[in-house]
Amino acid sequence: MLVGLIVGSLILLSAHFSEAESGPLHVIQRATATVLSPLETVANAALKPVRDLIDWFDETWEARGENEDLKEELAEVRTRLAEAETANAENEDLRGLLDLDKDELAPYGFEPVTARVITRTPSLVNATVGVNAGSADGVEVDDAVVAADGLVGRVTQVTSTSAQVQLITDPRNGVSVAVAVPDGPQGIVSATAGDPEELTLEIFSNDDEVSDDQYVVTAGWADPATELSSAYPPNIAVGAITESSSSEFDFQQVTVDPFVNFQELTHVQILTGGPERPGIDE
Amino acid sequence: MILTRWINLRLGAIVLAAVLLQVTFFSYLLIFGVSPDFVVVVVSVIGLLGGAVIGAVTGFAAGLLLDVALLETLGVSSLVLLSVGYLAGRYRESFEIDSVFAPAAVTGALALLASAGFTTLQLTLDVDTSVSGSVVTDSIVKGLLAFLLAYPMYPLIRRALRPALVLEGAPARQSTRTAPASRMRRSVAGGVR
Repeated sequence: MLVGLIVGSLILLSAHFSEAESGPLHVIQRATATVLSPLETVANAALKPVRDLIDWFDETWEARGENEDLKEELAEVRTRLAEAETANAENEDLRGLLDLDKDELAPYGFEPVTARVITRTPSLVNATVGVNAGSADGVEVDDAVVAADGLVGRVTQVTSTSAQVQLITDPRNGVSVAVAVPDGPQGIVSATAGDPEELTLEIFSNDDEVSDDQYVVTAGWADPATELSSAYPPNIAVGAITESSSSEFDFQQVTVDPFVNFQELTHVQILTGGPERPGIDE
Repeated sequence: MILTRWINLRLGAIVLAAVLLQVTFFSYLLIFGVSPDFVVVVVSVIGLLGGAVIGAVTGFAAGLLLDVALLETLGVSSLVLLSVGYLAGRYRESFEIDSVFAPAAVTGALALLASAGFTTLQLTLDVDTSVSGSVVTDSIVKGLLAFLLAYPMYPLIRRALRPALVLEGAPARQSTRTAPASRMRRSVAGGVR
């Protein structure tokens, strides 16, 4: 019996890992997940008050030490706000000239679908969440997912009523980003397995200097020649550089603190549709 | 453990509830930066109560359900959790459990092993990255949390499965068997008199 179960697990594992997304195991998994999804939604909603109560105790404990830090941060944010308002005014003028929709919160051309986070993996390595929106809502694999604070991740699996989102703190997920200054250097930001608090940004060049507290946004590049493009639209906030250091190699490694608090993620927006991207919308 | 249709249903309900609680509640909790592995605790306790085969089958089923619910690679959790259930069951078959400390300690140790197993399998499969040293400390914390969770869960699940437990049910059956026998002895003695 035991040998049968072990062999069964290994067969399942290798078959599921090697087959395509449209393979029979994936189809059965998605169908079963669709059945489980309403149960998860109900359980999630029913247990929310208990989670909130535990969070309240946790936050009250942490808030005692955070007050001073927040005062310093507020002063810095005020300075940034002044800069942002100037840029925003300029942006609105330009949008007016181009006749774009000013009220659209999502990047231009994308249709945002709001979803609730209903499941979360307990793994130390993989960082994924389940959301209660799926293909019936227009969600597709590789759609970018954002929250109010910035980039959350991308959709990796879809059922008709739910989807799996791979967070940017998952080490399997690499995001093309740029430092948010004019002609800022570009690189790939990724997480280290077992350390979801910090991201590592590898900048392709060692010539462009970066400094602490600079913001990092998605690069959103597309190359029609190679038919390759980033899964993420450009200019979505990712995080702030907290530790920069020069390297003797041809690239720099800097530490990025993500803006989104992934532990308190309750709602997200999935950016569906959008302009055609080579290698993505096929 | 004596498996009847009713007990199988109870086991199924316990596994389903454990998986739902894991993905919708326990995975959200961060205690010392780590989420408790509730499913590991439940599978271990069932193995400790039911033996190696029941533990392994429960672990396989719970792992499969967990991977389906999270849309993760099928088989990873099954492999780890069936090992947890089997080892817990082997412990029950080899040693006498006379206090709640032993199940809690076994569950804590198995949760530590399970965390290491999950991490190794996931890193082997599809994660090409450097690994933080905090994985080791996080696994130890998961073991400690499982140890603490096993204290309430062991008596709770034992209560739910009580009718099926051989050792728990034995005194009841013995008393029903001995009562007629003693009455017979009394009546025989009375006849002689």
